[in-house]
Amino acid sequence: MSWWVAACLLFGSLTLLFALALPAAFAFLGINIVGAWVWLGKDAGLIQLVRNGVTSISSFSLTPIPFFILMGEVLFHTGVAMKAIDAIDRLIWRVPGRLSVVAVVAGTIFSAISGSTIATTALLGSLLLPQMLARGYHPNMAMGPIMAIGGVDMLIPPSALTVLLGSLAGISISQLLIAGIVPGFLLSCLFVGWIVLRATLDPRLAPAFERESLTLWQRVRPLLLYVAPLVMIFVIVVAAMVAGWATPTEAAAIGAVATVLVAWIYRALTWSNLMQALMGTAGISGIILFIIIGATTFAQILTFSGATHGLVEAIKAAELAPWLVLATMLAILIVLGCFVDQVSMMLISLPFFMPLVAAYGFDVVWFGVLFLMCMQLGLLTPPFGMLLFTMKSVAPKEIAMSQVWRAATPYVVMGILALAAVIAFPPLATWLPKALFK
Amino acid sequence: MTLLYDRVLQGLAACAAVLLGASALAITLDVVGRNVGLGTVPWILEVSEYVLPLATFLVAPWLLRRNEHVRLDVLLRAWPWLNHVTNVIGLAVCAVLVLYGVRTILNSAQQGAMVFKSVVFPEWWLYAPVPLCFGLLAVEFARRLMGAPAQLEGR
Repeated sequence: MSWWVAACLLFGSLTLLFALALPAAFAFLGINIVGAWVWLGKDAGLIQLVRNGVTSISSFSLTPIPFFILMGEVLFHTGVAMKAIDAIDRLIWRVPGRLSVVAVVAGTIFSAISGSTIATTALLGSLLLPQMLARGYHPNMAMGPIMAIGGVDMLIPPSALTVLLGSLAGISISQLLIAGIVPGFLLSCLFVGWIVLRATLDPRLAPAFERESLTLWQRVRPLLLYVAPLVMIFVIVVAAMVAGWATPTEAAAIGAVATVLVAWIYRALTWSNLMQALMGTAGISGIILFIIIGATTFAQILTFSGATHGLVEAIKAAELAPWLVLATMLAILIVLGCFVDQVSMMLISLPFFMPLVAAYGFDVVWFGVLFLMCMQLGLLTPPFGMLLFTMKSVAPKEIAMSQVWRAATPYVVMGILALAAVIAFPPLATWLPKALFK
Repeated sequence: MTLLYDRVLQGLAACAAVLLGASALAITLDVVGRNVGLGTVPWILEVSEYVLPLATFLVAPWLLRRNEHVRLDVLLRAWPWLNHVTNVIGLAVCAVLVLYGVRTILNSAQQGAMVFKSVVFPEWWLYAPVPLCFGLLAVEFARRLMGAPAQLEGR
């Protein structure tokens, strides 16, 4: 069987199973069972499939994932996250589009402590959206920033998906985590600029209202009380990795335990909400890791069927300009992101992309950041971006899906601009990790 | 019966949750111990690696029961009858993996394969949760085929 027939068969049947609404992990497993029988030696291939599934996730590089998720879940279920958002709400005043700006700033700080993109969007959406709509904010002004900042969560460490990308693509996890910081903040700044601009040009989009007048101390105190400790945890986690005191796994475990301690000090921790946070953690990590169990043999089957080698060689033989290859890879990611989840995206594309990245000599950390930015865009791109659905599920019933799409559009455009900036100016991604890991 | 079934799935998920929490705590204590000069426990990191697949297998049936595994349900909304096709494929996939899970265990046990790291144990222990997990997943797909409604209380 020639490589392109194998490639078409494998991807065609995977697409079919996805379309049938089979959960992603089972779709991969179904293809792998047939693929292992055909290309990996029948009986022995299927035994190999089971072995691969187990060993793929008994990996030290993946252990930070549940711990990063646990940090966010603890903050949610104990209510500490709400207090932090309220503290930021008090601090920002007299800014056009104030609540939208609060959403971006709170989201940025929160993403520095939460490893889960969907959790951030769901939290901010259920907390700030009703307030904004009640204050007469235009739905676009209210929903857009919340969804957009949920995507930024992926770039700012700790991020479970960054750990996964580093592990699957063989990129240094610590460096990749650090490399996301600058592009993440760049996006946040772009978003704030856009909100302020829109709200200044057309004040009806975000009617100003006066909060009860507070003294400076009343505004700053909650910040010191509820936000500063969270920022400290972020600093400790990042510093421990950078300084080499701890591996990413250890830093993540310390971060998770520190978050639980902080919640306990605030007297917000109970056995019941701790257990809820742990169940939430097991659930979210289970969803991610189960797809990996299902998909791990897929890359191997692609290799044995000759599809990986065939396609990669065909592209090399075409002698395309490096920028064209890069642009095509990123475009494929953005399109994939409209239809499939992030984990499946990585598992489908990395077997082809990493050999090309090596062949063309792209910087792997830089490519990793571009990859993350494309996934962040994929979360927001209609029709199936995951954050659009998350927002729809927490928004009031009368808001239509089309309205959610419209709200996300300017932020998708800004995301593309930021992506272009990092492509044109790689130090945006690579300078910080290079400076820190000399 | 359904109640018992749900309790079992929830109980397994709770085990996964506790395992993950315990490994975060154990790793932190190990780092603290190492830095204050109490020495380190070499098997803690290794065991936490094995917790990952174990927790994933324990929580997967509960996630399927709650419809939380990621899927693309656009066509399904248009043609609900597709659900039967999906459930048959899901059941078939799980049945094959129960069979090969058991065969992998037997295969490894017959060879007497051992894992030699800080902790030494028979390799087949690693594969033991596989048939259990896929067996329970198969039960869920079969229940859906027989018309049992999916639990729709996802997060």
